[in-house]
Amino acid sequence: MNNNENNTLEASNGFSPGGDPGKNGGVKIVAFLCNWCSYAGADAAGTSRLRQPENIRIIRLPCSGRVNPLFIIKAFNQGADGVLVSGCHPNDCHYSEGNFYARRRLEFLKEFLPFIGIDKRRFSYQWVSASEAQKWQNVVINFVKRIEDVHAK
Amino acid sequence: MTVEDKLKEKINEIIDDLDLLVGYSASELPLKVNPVFIKNREDVKNLVFNKLCINNLATYIYNLSKKIKGTAGIVLKPCDASSVIQLLSEGLLDREKTRMIVAGCSGVFDYKKIQKHLGGQKIISLELENGNLEVGTINKKNTLKAADFYADKCYWCQIYNKPPLYDDFIENDQEPGIQPADKYADLEIIESKSIEEIMNYWDGQFSRCIRCYACRNVCPLEICQDRCITNLDEPYWQSQRINTQEGKFFQMIRVMHLAGRCTECGECERACPKNIPLAKLMKKSAQIVERLFDYKAGQEIDKKPPFLTFKDVEQNIKEENLS
Ligand code: SF4
Ligand code: SF4
Repeated sequence: MNNNENNTLEASNGFSPGGDPGKNGGVKIVAFLCNWCSYAGADAAGTSRLRQPENIRIIRLPCSGRVNPLFIIKAFNQGADGVLVSGCHPNDCHYSEGNFYARRRLEFLKEFLPFIGIDKRRFSYQWVSASEAQKWQNVVINFVKRIEDVHAK
Repeated sequence: MTVEDKLKEKINEIIDDLDLLVGYSASELPLKVNPVFIKNREDVKNLVFNKLCINNLATYIYNLSKKIKGTAGIVLKPCDASSVIQLLSEGLLDREKTRMIVAGCSGVFDYKKIQKHLGGQKIISLELENGNLEVGTINKKNTLKAADFYADKCYWCQIYNKPPLYDDFIENDQEPGIQPADKYADLEIIESKSIEEIMNYWDGQFSRCIRCYACRNVCPLEICQDRCITNLDEPYWQSQRINTQEGKFFQMIRVMHLAGRCTECGECERACPKNIPLAKLMKKSAQIVERLFDYKAGQEIDKKPPFLTFKDVEQNIKEENLS
């Protein structure tokens, strides 16, 4: 991973690099969750005591449509090993169409990342609804596993 | 009659309908032409149109349209017309107030390639004879094969004599006669590398970036100019520091803001004083947009740009399910 000295310096305004790395080899993952579905889903997973890896730092946004692809690039620049975006299922968006726009942007970004030297597997976008606590747990576990694989290489 | 003469004749006919005309005029530098803004009939004689007209004049049209009340005329190569079409399709220009005077093109020379070939020597003259470029440097005449020195985009141009949209079209009898090349060959070279090598390749390129913003300012579609998010304190996207990461991030801002809009005119790469291969980024972006959304920028006025619309079911997107 490319971690130049500037990244680590600037990382202080995001999350603290190296601090509280979690148990799983310390990969750092930023997750952008929409307020209405995925954040509630993650919350529900917490309340139902579904164990989740501790590598994920969640940032709550009003809608997956609020996710500017540049947030993701910036997270990578500042030292994130993986970035996850999750929102309501298509047709379930609280604002009716935010996630449709998001899907186009995020898919474009995902296709573009390898061309600038960022492994595609380090980024994913998912649809998790408020009631899908179990799905959220699976998503997180699988994503963390994948990032660890990429990281270990 | 050359295309230049026909162009002047045409402009003489219509100049009274225009508030202002953007065209090319001769330059004292042998490899270049200048943009020129014309109001009066007596200045029409200063216009030129030849194989040195590599600049995309569409760059001026947006700002100009904000400043003048009447119609702005603009001299365009067929590829440059795409940039205007894209602006029109985004509702950024008024069709009624934009007169597109498109001249058929027989290919334009990339002066950077000529300069590089001659190792940066001072060039004092240039002539085209029987398919050869006769380039005069201080005490020597150099003969170069013209076919090797066209702008990259000329090697895959298919619209040199059929612009997608125009108000006046001036035919060019001269065929480019350029051997077509594979547009994506340079992308394939990069993509055949490992992910670390690709990262290092771009780090190497962007370590040279001085954030002069020439690439942004020359682009016909980057109408944001100094309102660009890179210049904002709030929200704070980028520091003023000059280093590889910041250069690369700035370029990612450009890629994201031009996805589905860039018409691949190559001006950003031409303007870059550090010769960073920006066109590769733009080409990749356009390739992805075309594959995912079946959209090519600068072709049709009525087609919605891909990121301003969506479909319930996206045929070409395969969502991954991690659960
Ligand atoms: S990004 Fe570069 S190639 Fe694309 S329209 Fe702008 S100047 Fe032209
Ligand atoms: S023109 Fe080149 S050096 Fe200037 S900001 Fe753009 S990429 Fe950097």
